[in-house]
Amino acid sequence: MFLVRIDNRLIHGQVIEAWLPYTGAKTVVVANDDLADDVLQQEIMSLAIPQTISSVFVGVENLHDAVADMPPSDVLVLFSNCSDARRAYDTGFAFNLLNVGNVHYTPGKKQISPSVALSDEDEGCLRHLTKKGVTLDFRCVPNDPIQVRF
Amino acid sequence: MGAEKKKESLVGVVVVTHGSFGQSLLDVAEIVLGPQEYCKAVGVDVNRGVDETVDAIRKTIKSVETGRGVVALTDLFGGSPTTMSLSLMKSENLEVITGVNLPMLVATLQSRLMHLDALAEKIRDAGQQGIKVAGAMLRKKTTAKK
Repeated sequence: MFLVRIDNRLIHGQVIEAWLPYTGAKTVVVANDDLADDVLQQEIMSLAIPQTISSVFVGVENLHDAVADMPPSDVLVLFSNCSDARRAYDTGFAFNLLNVGNVHYTPGKKQISPSVALSDEDEGCLRHLTKKGVTLDFRCVPNDPIQVRF
Repeated sequence: MGAEKKKESLVGVVVVTHGSFGQSLLDVAEIVLGPQEYCKAVGVDVNRGVDETVDAIRKTIKSVETGRGVVALTDLFGGSPTTMSLSLMKSENLEVITGVNLPMLVATLQSRLMHLDALAEKIRDAGQQGIKVAGAMLRKKTTAKK
């Protein structure tokens, strides 16, 4: 089973210091259309990843093909927002569990946990995924309590 | 006039950290050294958007740039204050140094007439040299006297 997370900051301290050691992932796959075309930003993002862990940057709709040959439990997949997660799912990247880690606040969004604020569109994407059988996990870091907040 | 010229030749300093850590460091450094110019802190509020925060960092860098370049002292290598600062190297004359501590910031503020590259090395060394197991040093000294 792939480890899948939504985090508007993609690779950052919480991912490097908490989620990578916790999951034991060997590859981080960042599924983001902007970063897939920005080599400098890819270098910046992956600079502090431990050398034993590889990083791959792909467009959201290429994710399914990109991970086809990877052992699922070795891979941590990162999306920057809910609609990218939905789009990847609808274009063939199936997953059962979605960690909703950081979705930043902007005016008009509903704050549902300290690190997650959802717009109507975000909520629609997550409902779409739960209807398909995806379980949501709203932990920001691994030792947060698992709570249903949605 | 002379004082004005000297001010303008200082390398700019921005402390970019999670939360209010950077501002607190700067407040303490100013207690040690007195008030500083072309030196500011930016706190990254993780609940705000990335683009908005990068813009705030960019504006702060521009506000301390005197033409000599700017050092961004950041907290955690791999953390978002660091990656956001690194992303501004495209457009700004900037060096980014991680692991900021008070010895580093004090050394930085004392050496801002240096060139950016040499200053960066000095800052790194000051940060590393500021870490001592001081209790053990003291014990060693006192045991030697016995």
